[in-house]
Amino acid sequence: MNSYNIEKKDMNILLDRFLEDYKVFGPTRPGADSTFDEITSIKQLHLDYTSTVLPPKKFFHPPKETLFSFELKNDKFTTKESIQDKKILILGIHPCDVHAILKLDKFFSTDFSDTYYQNRRKNTVLVAINCVEPSEHSFCSSMGTGPYLDEGYDILLTDIGTKYLVEIGSKTGQKLVEGVNLRKATETDFHEKERRLKLMEKKIKKFMNTTWLPRIARENLDHEVWLDLGEHGGVDGSFPCLSCGSCSLVCPTCYCYDVYDTMDLSLISGTRNRELDSCQLLEYGEVALGDNFRRDRKDRIRHWMLCKFGAAAGGKNSSCVGCGRCIRVCPSKIDLTEVAKVIRGGKQR
Amino acid sequence: MNEKPKIAIFKFTGCAGCQLEFLHLEEIFLDILELFDISYWVMVKRDNDETGWDISLVEGGISTPEEIEEIKQIRMKTKFLVAFGDCAIGGCIPSIRNWTPQLDAESQVYRDTSVIQSTKVFGIGEYVKVDAILKGCPAHRDTIVELLKSALLEIRPRLRQHPVCVECKFRDNACLITSKKMACMGPVTSAGCGAICPSLGRECEGCFGPMSNPNTSALASIFKDLGFNEKDIKRKFRKYAGMSPEFRKEAGH
Ligand code: SF4
Ligand code: SF4
Ligand code: SF4
Ligand code: SF4
Ligand code: SF4
Repeated sequence: MNSYNIEKKDMNILLDRFLEDYKVFGPTRPGADSTFDEITSIKQLHLDYTSTVLPPKKFFHPPKETLFSFELKNDKFTTKESIQDKKILILGIHPCDVHAILKLDKFFSTDFSDTYYQNRRKNTVLVAINCVEPSEHSFCSSMGTGPYLDEGYDILLTDIGTKYLVEIGSKTGQKLVEGVNLRKATETDFHEKERRLKLMEKKIKKFMNTTWLPRIARENLDHEVWLDLGEHGGVDGSFPCLSCGSCSLVCPTCYCYDVYDTMDLSLISGTRNRELDSCQLLEYGEVALGDNFRRDRKDRIRHWMLCKFGAAAGGKNSSCVGCGRCIRVCPSKIDLTEVAKVIRGGKQR
Repeated sequence: MNEKPKIAIFKFTGCAGCQLEFLHLEEIFLDILELFDISYWVMVKRDNDETGWDISLVEGGISTPEEIEEIKQIRMKTKFLVAFGDCAIGGCIPSIRNWTPQLDAESQVYRDTSVIQSTKVFGIGEYVKVDAILKGCPAHRDTIVELLKSALLEIRPRLRQHPVCVECKFRDNACLITSKKMACMGPVTSAGCGAICPSLGRECEGCFGPMSNPNTSALASIFKDLGFNEKDIKRKFRKYAGMSPEFRKEAGH
């Protein structure tokens, strides 16, 4: 595929091209509490962000959505699907988040085909950016999901000083840059990319040893760390879990949801809705008549971590990509990389 | 449907805010009247039917011997009794006075305390069986509608009791505890408000009461770690639901 470079100060040219065909979303604040919002001018864009609160998952699998509306009239039952086919472009998505989307793609297409997810997904263009400044919580290099990307993008940017290297990853990406007056990338550009990414890897301070991790996790279901996390003192300076659910709601690979109906006051029509759910929440494991498969807090945090370690039913589709969001957002300072060390036995609590 | 179900709305020790929230259903109020017969509501009606009701929404806690008798009467005449808002559930803000000796509290307001008779403030559940609760100070209008609709359809209302943090994350908010070191009650507080306060950069005060299984001691230790003293922390847990079994310990019993 082709590669180009563009002066940073000319990025507005590229953005304007994107805006011709798409609604564009990108990080709108610097730092780790950025959010992906609509971008209409280059001034709003902060490609120097380190992380966002919600991952780009929100564009394909939104926190709340209406799936269809229904009506029962004159003994006839009708439904009307809500189709989301707006064409959007996500600009400045990090490698870990692209990998997370590739996982979600598998989950929402393998055993069953989720129309709602796929409609949005196929209408989305991903313009990724390699990371040159890690957030203090990320450990993508351990998970093989960053800090640089080699798949899953339509266009890939890398900060190489005063310029971005622009690599094309798909036909859609190629079509988008045609007509924009970009220079061909040079060998020096690629050397600079290489150099910066190597530097970047050295800046990552967090690691997780994933060798046999799913198996180790499954063999340690009775480890006392779960009770510690659930009720006692936590791990390594953390507090016990609050069951607040934040960790999984911000996790780019958590896909669990709840489906429910809302009736209108007419009592003959309504909507079927879907909402993100989390196994950290008590009601997640609740069944008819009020019984609950995961009533204890320790069982819930254990399930959450096992799922992130790749040891639950979701396997690789829901396992961690090392984005660090759950660590940043946890009011109790619970850190899954520390828990992984404890169950591996290499670390005292 | 043969006859419209009869609804009654009562007020005990509270501020009438929950009743007002019902009135604020303005745009769908007439639809509600299509479905229900609001047969008793002193705040808005001149003629009130006291013979009995299918659903009673009771606002306010119980704080006098007369109120104890009244709530028992209402229970007898009601099929489905709803604790409408935090005061009716557990006393809410009026119950802050329970931490002051009875006489001290009374004499702060009344010059001659012999003219009044008051008890500690409790939710109505202390005295009668409650069939459903609508959390919030005030209860949120959406949850009121959800409950009424479910009663007609004879299904369980969807009133999730997960924490405010869930709604806060749905709104893409940075966390006030981790990013701003603020003492937010969101992790122990029931959702239902849509995380209004954190979305405006203000910590949740806990006005929807305890969530399904709050880890209050963990949150209290987190507040302490953020630099809040014990008195501040107690106040936070006392404010809206100090009498609840979930918050009682951290509220300082
Ligand atoms: S488990 Fe945590 S670090 Fe891993 S992908 Fe999810 S939010 Fe990111
Ligand atoms: S079961 Fe797995 S994917 Fe679902 S919420 Fe829990 S951790 Fe996330
Ligand atoms: S964010 Fe932390 S406290 Fe909240 S549920 Fe997750 S691990 Fe528990
Ligand atoms: S700001 Fe408050 S409500 Fe929001 S996630 Fe943080 S603790 Fe929860
Ligand atoms: S955020 Fe907390 S204090 Fe604010 S309205 Fe919601 S429950 Fe009440």
